[in-house]
Amino acid sequence: MDNFKIEGTKQTPKIAFSASTGILEISGRSIPENTFEFFNPVLLWLDSYSAVAPQKIVAKISLEYFNTSSSKYILEVLKRLKGMLNDGKEVLVEWYYEEDDEEMMETGEDYQDVSGLPFNIVAKED
Amino acid sequence: MANQSIYQRELENLEQSKQFLQRNEYSKIELQLEFKKIVENYEELIDQVKIITKISDRLQNKLNKTNEALESSNIKLADLNHQLNQTIDQLTEAKIGRKAGTIILIFAIALFIISEAFIEPIIERTFSNNFWIGLGLKLGVAILIKPGEDFVNKYMLRQARKKQLAEARERLAD
Repeated sequence: MDNFKIEGTKQTPKIAFSASTGILEISGRSIPENTFEFFNPVLLWLDSYSAVAPQKIVAKISLEYFNTSSSKYILEVLKRLKGMLNDGKEVLVEWYYEEDDEEMMETGEDYQDVSGLPFNIVAKED
Repeated sequence: MANQSIYQRELENLEQSKQFLQRNEYSKIELQLEFKKIVENYEELIDQVKIITKISDRLQNKLNKTNEALESSNIKLADLNHQLNQTIDQLTEAKIGRKAGTIILIFAIALFIISEAFIEPIIERTFSNNFWIGLGLKLGVAILIKPGEDFVNKYMLRQARKKQLAEARERLAD
C-alpha cells in the first residue's frame, strides 16, 4: 500500500502516513475551508489501511489549533484507530502539545477518554 | 454541502430509519432491532456533541487568550512607536537647531564684514563719523540674530517634516 502524504499549509495540517512503519503523523494547524474535501481522503486511506496495517501502529498528533469541524474528523480518525485496536493491533496515540498550551493538553485528555485508545500525552519543549 | 458531508454517516443512518418507518408491517423483533440501532446512534451522537462542544469551547478560549495577548502586544508596540517618533523628532530638532545656528553665525559674520567694509565708510561720510549711528547699526544686527535663528530653525523643521511625510507616503505606497 502507498504512503499517504499532504504537505502542511497555514490552514491545513501536514499528514504523513507511512504504510510500512505504521507511523501516522498529523501536525500543524487545521482550519480548512472545506474540511470534508481535506479529511475524506485521509479517512478513506485509513479504511483501506486497516486490512494491511502492521502489528504496531503509532499515531503522532501534534496540532497547534483546529476548528470545530476538524475536531469531528480527528474523532473519526481515532475511531478508525480504535477499530484497528479491536482487530488485535497494537495502537498508541502520541498527543503532542506546546509546554504552555494547557488547552491542547486537556483536549488530548478528552480525546483519550472518549476514544478509549492508549494515549501518551507529551509536552514539547520550546 | 461541506457541512452536510461531515455528517455523511449520521445522515445515512437517519435515512435508513426513515425508510424503515415507511414499511407497512413490522415484526416485534424487527422493531426491537431498529429501536436498538437508533438508541445506539443517538448515544454516539450525544457523545460526539459533548466532546466536540467541549473541545470547541476550549479552543475558542485559546483563541481569545491569543487575541488578548496580541492586543496587549499592539498597545506596547504603539507606545514604543510613539516613544521612537518622539526621540526621532528630538534628534531632528537638535540636528536642525545646530544647522540653523551655523547658518545664522555665518550670516552674522557676513553682515559684520559688510557693515565694517561698506556701510561704516558710508556712515562716516554721511553722518561725519557719528559713533551712535554705527553702534546702533551693529546693535540692530545683534538683536536680529536670535529671531533670525528661530525663523531659520522653524523653516528647516517644516521642510524636514515635509520630507519625512513624503518618505512615509512612499513606503506606504510600496
